[in-house]
Amino acid sequence: MQFSDEEIEQLRPRVRFKVCYEVGFLCPDVDDIVQETLTRFFIAAKDDKVRNTSALGAFLNGICRNVISEYRRRALRDEPVPETVPEPAGKGLQDADLFEMRDAIASGMEQLSLRDRRILRAYYLEEKSKEEILKVTGMTDENFRVVLCRAKERFRNIYLEQTKHRGL
Amino acid sequence: MSLSDMELDFHSDVVLRDRLVTNYLYRQLSADLVDALESHYLECNECYQEMRGTELLIRGLAEPILERKQVNDVTVIRFTESSQLLAASLELAELTKAIRLENDTKVLIDLSKVSRIDSTGLGVLMNCYCHAVKNSGALKLLHPEASVKHVLNVTKIDSVLQTFEDETDAIRSFDRLQASS
Repeated sequence: MQFSDEEIEQLRPRVRFKVCYEVGFLCPDVDDIVQETLTRFFIAAKDDKVRNTSALGAFLNGICRNVISEYRRRALRDEPVPETVPEPAGKGLQDADLFEMRDAIASGMEQLSLRDRRILRAYYLEEKSKEEILKVTGMTDENFRVVLCRAKERFRNIYLEQTKHRGL
Repeated sequence: MSLSDMELDFHSDVVLRDRLVTNYLYRQLSADLVDALESHYLECNECYQEMRGTELLIRGLAEPILERKQVNDVTVIRFTESSQLLAASLELAELTKAIRLENDTKVLIDLSKVSRIDSTGLGVLMNCYCHAVKNSGALKLLHPEASVKHVLNVTKIDSVLQTFEDETDAIRSFDRLQASS
């Protein structure tokens, strides 16, 4: 099984995100883990070791999980055992890349109407259900989907634009 | 929700996918679902981009709508964006939380960005005022817009809640309150 350069470049940020999610966005060894994962994956693919080609994501995910487990075992072996157990990777969003994108995020927020921002804040931050929001705002289900899709489309474009500029 | 449900609906139901992605970002998914979602987005560009877009959106939304600053022992609260204090407004909950949970007793609320207020909004302001007074403090208002000022005047709430146009004067008035008590 062969992959084009474009396919390889598309895989790298996704694997990187998964690794960051597991080991924390500030871990200094993220790029090494990503590289090791991709190397093993491409070698396995080249040697036709992928049994189910329709589940490549699951296969890659499995390799990545193994590499992360090995990394953790090695890190525990090499370093003295800490007196207090370290905190797991924090809840919520903490990617340093997001900090770099703050201006683009702020400009995206300005493009949202006040009403949309209120609805989205209730949905994402206050974890109100769709039904609760519909009841309070008097919106229809269709309107809600439009608000959600429109906002997400805008921010997906911001993400694509930013990654293009920064080569992430 | 089972894995099979997710596979069935992952692309067809926008809201369901969004809920899964959001729960993943907040680390609220079960291990099985995390595994399934990761296996999926590693090979699905659309879902990966959707997730990163959602991440940016949440980051943007998380910027606080209320800004607090401390001047001497007075807490000045202002709205960072144009707001309305109406029954359906999220700002009301934010405002109540900002005052009652923080236990501030000398509070000055800058209303310059509040364009409308209704009876529920007035009720919340009065509740916050009572909370401050009960704790030997005070709550005052700064720069209300003409429409808000009119409502405060008609309801005679401005005879209870002191209103100022100048921040320095407003802050000084809290000193006088302390001296008289």
